Amino acid sequence: MSRILFTVPPLTGHLNPALAVAQALADLGHTVAWAVHARQLGDKLPPRARVYPLDFGDDGALDIAAPAVRGLESVRLFFEDYTMPMAARVLQPLEAIARDFCPELMVVDHQMPAGALVARKLGLPWASLVTTSASIQKMSPTLDAWVAEQYMGLQRGYLPPELIVERPDFSPHRVIVFSIEALIGSAHARVEAPYAFVGPARGHGRRQVDFPWDWLRPDRRKLLVSLGTVSRDRDTRFFEVIMAALAGMPEVQAVLVAPAQLVAQAPDNVLVRDYVPQLELLDRVDAVICHAGHNTVCEALSRGLPLIVAPIRDDQPVIARQVIDAGAALFMRHGKVTPAAARSAIETLLGTPALADRAQALGQTLREAPGAAGAAALIASLAAPALPRQRVA
Amino acid sequence: MDDNYDGILAVVTDKIRSTVNEDWIQDFDIGPETRFNDDLELESIEFVKIADAIQAHFGTRLDIVGWLSGKSIQELIGLSVGDLTGFIAGAVAQA
Repeated sequence: MSRILFTVPPLTGHLNPALAVAQALADLGHTVAWAVHARQLGDKLPPRARVYPLDFGDDGALDIAAPAVRGLESVRLFFEDYTMPMAARVLQPLEAIARDFCPELMVVDHQMPAGALVARKLGLPWASLVTTSASIQKMSPTLDAWVAEQYMGLQRGYLPPELIVERPDFSPHRVIVFSIEALIGSAHARVEAPYAFVGPARGHGRRQVDFPWDWLRPDRRKLLVSLGTVSRDRDTRFFEVIMAALAGMPEVQAVLVAPAQLVAQAPDNVLVRDYVPQLELLDRVDAVICHAGHNTVCEALSRGLPLIVAPIRDDQPVIARQVIDAGAALFMRHGKVTPAAARSAIETLLGTPALADRAQALGQTLREAPGAAGAAALIASLAAPALPRQRVA
Repeated sequence: MDDNYDGILAVVTDKIRSTVNEDWIQDFDIGPETRFNDDLELESIEFVKIADAIQAHFGTRLDIVGWLSGKSIQELIGLSVGDLTGFIAGAVAQA
């Protein structure tokens, strides 16, 4: 059995798959510890988890980039103002933690590059966790060079020259991707790495949310409309356009995950809720309109639901393109769509069996993927073959 | 140069409208200051299609993609219709 150190950024979408994998490793008898920003994540970790805090004093609370930016600008801000400064800040503390815990293995989120650099410096076997299918694609010469330059600056101040590589964030031992190859496609070159595509981790950790289930009518086609938690409160235009489109479609019911202030504007066939039990709701709808967030896309496809994707920022445009190219989604331009165009898209979404067929096929592959348990088995196999035990956990 | 620039701007604007081909873009005010990312919400794949359509219109070797690859990420984020028009005007004048 191995001692395994996990490190992830303080972002729920990155923590949840790691939690599921860590639980699977603990179930196999391994000893897990966490190096995380405890103030932001502490209450989301298991009750008796061994936690090394990465936040000290008042410097732990880096905030994620401004909610109003979109497209490439959001990617630039995420790297330059969030991921890289955080990495520089936690490199030394994280190395000290690793030296204290003496792990045989490390498991490092791909947007926690400090963990990757520490594993490389200490010569530990380690696995990368990639939480979005967008991250393994090469982009364009300009953007790939910019990413490499970001990592180069971080490595130069910390690693000896012989350990510096173009993409230190990808483990040379194993890169776990929480997606499937059928969704990622082969249209774009990938960063070279030892990938394992395990599908969604299907972690738990969602809280109970009340929902008026009897509002849903069995004789209506039903939609879930969600832009995710980050963009929900961005602006109300998108929701207003969707409501205007649906007002002329009484044969459809839709649940909008949107700010409560929109309740007053909602037509009879639209229910506005600021939180919903998304997984249970997905079991009862026919299709989804969303921002192409990785979790929502995988959860919808896992149930065979076709989508309209209206990407806004971060990895969303890439994920949107992947699911469109896979034949299971239609595109909608988030800030530009008109009620007429939205209505036409919704009619196509609900009236095109081929979209649902492709979603069903992808859903089957997603459901059959090994998930967190498969990831755990791959990670456990990275431990050096049995040496006499030196330490007692 | 100005006539030439305005003529090229009209071609670029026309190719943007026909490539995006959605209802809102037909009346959208497109000028040199219009930015592809923030103002038009264009995807990179759409930009490539627009570049191909412009290329086909002028029939000369423009290498818009090559021109882009020399840009920094900040320049790509702020890329405007005027930037693209200026590049084409220069390339056409040399051809």
